[in-house]
Amino acid sequence: MSTRPTRLRGFRRLVALAAGALALAACAVGPAGGGAPQDAGKPTIRLAYQAFPSGDLVVKHNRWLEEALPNYTIKWTKFDSGADINTAFIAGQLDFGAIGSSPVARGLSGPLNIPYQVAFVLDVAGDNEALVARKATGITDVAGLRGKRIATAFASTAHYSLLAALQQAGLSASDVQLVDLQPQASLAAWERGDVDAVYTWLPTLDQLRKDGTQLIASRQLATAGKPTLDLGVVSTAFAQAHPDVVDTWRKVETRALTQIHDDPQAASAAIAPEIGATPEEAANQLKQGVYLTEQELTSAEWLGTDGAPGNVAQNLQSAAQFLADQKQIPAAPALATFQKGLYTKGLPNVLAS
Amino acid sequence: MRAVLLPLVSLLVFLVLWQLAAASGAWNETFVPYPSTVWRAFLDVSTTHDGTRGYQGYLLWEHLYMTLRRVLGGVVVGVLVGVLVGLLMGTVGWVRRVLEPWLTFLRALPPLAYFFLLVIWLGIDEAPKITLLALAAFPPAAVATTAAVAAAPISLIEAARALGAGRSQVVRDVIVPAALPETFTGVRLAVGIAYSSVVAAELFNGIPGIGGMVKDASNYNNTPVVLVGIAAIGISGLVIDGLLRAVERRTVPWRGRA
Repeated sequence: MSTRPTRLRGFRRLVALAAGALALAACAVGPAGGGAPQDAGKPTIRLAYQAFPSGDLVVKHNRWLEEALPNYTIKWTKFDSGADINTAFIAGQLDFGAIGSSPVARGLSGPLNIPYQVAFVLDVAGDNEALVARKATGITDVAGLRGKRIATAFASTAHYSLLAALQQAGLSASDVQLVDLQPQASLAAWERGDVDAVYTWLPTLDQLRKDGTQLIASRQLATAGKPTLDLGVVSTAFAQAHPDVVDTWRKVETRALTQIHDDPQAASAAIAPEIGATPEEAANQLKQGVYLTEQELTSAEWLGTDGAPGNVAQNLQSAAQFLADQKQIPAAPALATFQKGLYTKGLPNVLAS
Repeated sequence: MRAVLLPLVSLLVFLVLWQLAAASGAWNETFVPYPSTVWRAFLDVSTTHDGTRGYQGYLLWEHLYMTLRRVLGGVVVGVLVGVLVGLLMGTVGWVRRVLEPWLTFLRALPPLAYFFLLVIWLGIDEAPKITLLALAAFPPAAVATTAAVAAAPISLIEAARALGAGRSQVVRDVIVPAALPETFTGVRLAVGIAYSSVVAAELFNGIPGIGGMVKDASNYNNTPVVLVGIAAIGISGLVIDGLLRAVERRTVPWRGRA
């Protein structure tokens, strides 16, 4: 019997709460709504970034692009995986993106055929991505993984590198048990002893190394012809309409690469807050990756120059061939497709500021 | 006749609209693939072809079977505990006051929010998946049972008491039969909610499993396989609900005639 009055009181309180929430929402919307019209005249550049340490985060954190392009509204959106960036490109929601070579190889192949081009090499995976086995298993080389349980984030560059490492050791994916786990979850599974080995990246990788044996790192796979890269891509339509913006973007990305080489402390200080790490941790992560110099970037080994697309096209094709063998895409396109997929306009002179 | 014809016509209209949408070219094929492409994907994941077995080494029915097993395990645990707790909450006032906030708290949580904790505590095999499904099925079953028990007609309870029935007799002979129809609705709801959590439950190490298949295919922007998985989840969900309704009609024929 006594429940009725309480319920009514509860209801009234709820109404009051709802009214309060509405008022709050109105306040929150107010200033933002007021700010929009003054930007309305400026065209927007939409960039997708990911929280892996690279010059892209230096550019974002220091607002270099905003400085260099004051007549544009710059919109940065954080993504967690290359697959999501691919989807956003297909939807026509992005102009630039920072994305791994494995998803780019998928994006440039059928059935996706995403109209974007590779305009920059942000980094090359070195010791920042590696395959580690738990010490307790006693495994010391990749061949010893036969029949074991290995975790990696499916569809990532680490997944690609793991399959390449297994193949190199004479094993196929069916000789081991592959488990799809994101870095954090793979750490949990590792600590519980649910997996024997993990192929993942920093910072999780450093935690695994504490009680694990490193079997192979992406640096060795790169020298064996299976490099994994983080690339900067630009939508083809955008590059045709605004070549000047692409030039500016390449210049600031080059400036960030130079800073990583010349002043790693400043670079780590900018990257640290973007990846939620301390500057020391960020510096350590930067040290383990491979960051090209301006000369390397435009050499035949990587992007190449205007009219002479470089070896990144071969890398992407070999990644696509690999995905086709794994039945992840129907077939790998010809090399020409990937050469057309490189945006080398004006290289190398355009990078000189 | 009409009962069969109307759903069939709606299905046909849907397929025609779909084909038109795909053929219009307004959307990229990754977003709206042709019905024929999805049909081919269905055949691919259901058979062994050029040396590849189904999707990621398992056929469609094997993915579905693993998921159904997990859902069954989770739902049985979740519903059993849920109905018992609901019965207790409905009959004993202080239990209800103690448990209700906890139940509401749990009900408000999206499974994705706590799944990571389950992985840390229970590992990456079956335990966290079944626990997640049980946690998803538990609140609706408990809430529906509580409400159903509380709504048992007072006149009947008082009549039974007047005839000399004890507390346990009242519960067994009056409250439970009166609450059963509503409880069944809660069970159906619980199964539905558990079923809609399968993709979350199979987020980590979900293959074989239909949710794991959908998640993996979407990682590769493989829309046809995603649609096949969604259709499999939806259709099996319809079948399960149909079965539950049949069971309900059999066991609670007095529904609506209280």
